[in-house]
Amino acid sequence: MMAIRGERGRLWSVLALLVVLQFALRPRLGMPSVAPDFLMVALLLFAIRSRPGAAAVAGFLVGLAGDAMAPARVGAGALAHTVVGYLAAWGRAVFFPDNLFVNGLVIALGVWLRNAIQLLASGAGTGSLPSQLFVWAPLQALTTALTATLVLMLFQRWLDIRIEG
Amino acid sequence: MPPRSDRTLSRRDTALFAVCVLLSALMLVRPAWGDAAAGTVRRSVLVPFLWIQGWSEASRTSRASFDALRAQRDSASYAAQFLPALRSENQRLRGLLSLGARLTIPYRAAEVLHQSGPTDGRTLLLSIGRRQGVREFSPVIGPDGLLGVVRTVDPERSVALTWAHPEFRASAFALSVGVFGVVRAAVQVTGSNQLLQLRGVAIRDSVPNGTLVVTSGLGGVYPPGIPVGTVVGQAQEETGWERIYVLHPAASPEAATQVLVLLGMTDTSLARLFTGDSAP
Repeated sequence: MMAIRGERGRLWSVLALLVVLQFALRPRLGMPSVAPDFLMVALLLFAIRSRPGAAAVAGFLVGLAGDAMAPARVGAGALAHTVVGYLAAWGRAVFFPDNLFVNGLVIALGVWLRNAIQLLASGAGTGSLPSQLFVWAPLQALTTALTATLVLMLFQRWLDIRIEG
Repeated sequence: MPPRSDRTLSRRDTALFAVCVLLSALMLVRPAWGDAAAGTVRRSVLVPFLWIQGWSEASRTSRASFDALRAQRDSASYAAQFLPALRSENQRLRGLLSLGARLTIPYRAAEVLHQSGPTDGRTLLLSIGRRQGVREFSPVIGPDGLLGVVRTVDPERSVALTWAHPEFRASAFALSVGVFGVVRAAVQVTGSNQLLQLRGVAIRDSVPNGTLVVTSGLGGVYPPGIPVGTVVGQAQEETGWERIYVLHPAASPEAATQVLVLLGMTDTSLARLFTGDSAP
């Protein structure tokens, strides 16, 4: 019981660090459409270690927070994050959550899928959808996955990650 | 067959997922509910996080701002040597042309708190709010031109709706040809740049490429003369009674880091906007 509690505590510490990085470090990186999304890293790290229901609720809350800060179409972000969180947790049955490469891949796919759902749900007609989906979203997915890989390598013991793949 | 506890957990997961999706869908179909929920979250849970982000944005831009200010100070010092002569000449010329005094509008500078979602740029979260004098429908401009208008105001923050938002409209005027129209974001499914449209141009009028389009001042929201974009072509979707022109935007919301929020437009006489030399 103590071990599980300690494991959970370490996970929450990493998640809290990522939330702080989102607001303190991300603005300094510039290029907001490409800069890594630390909140998505936190959400997906939590999701692939949790039950789908909890991951969906976490996704909904993260999405609602995003909608509150960029309310182009409130609800689109909540929907996108809910779906991505739920799918990431549900997919735990078919991949290895302790594998570094798998974590990176899931996070990259999650960011791209989040962007796609959010763009479509918010009405992307006035933007350039192909460039958003096939240029900017993949770039953000890539930077976020690389950031997640770095975080996982730094906290591999806390997050039970196998570096050797 | 899975154990009963597993099935119960699975049902609970599905139920939680369904509830979250339902709540999201409700906010999408009832924007008023969504805006209320978003406003509540922004004014409560997110306050400390937005404070951190505002501080981070300010410290990032302070160095660049300092360099720019130093350059401006040097230029201003040089220009100040000729200021009295320029001012008297300006007054004399304005008197000769029977022009009114230049319209002065109070403003506040604000940091843009960019977010990570793909719709960032359609709305901008600004670091100033009601306590700094911001009101709904305050125009938001950047160094290059019009960015949008304030839609929601919180005590310490505000949300601006930019020209990239589907609901944005502004009355505009094509300089040098004297043609009025309404500017909105271009409906576009290809290309890499977001563009604008100048709609409602009478079929008898034409606007050549390269023409600068500025706000007309009609409607009383935007002061006249703010650059909106430059004509880059004519859209194919003419309706028979109007021409539609495609504009390259003057200012990019996604690239904006610091903006000016114009204050006090509602207290300004509209008649004054059309009599001075500030009219386009």
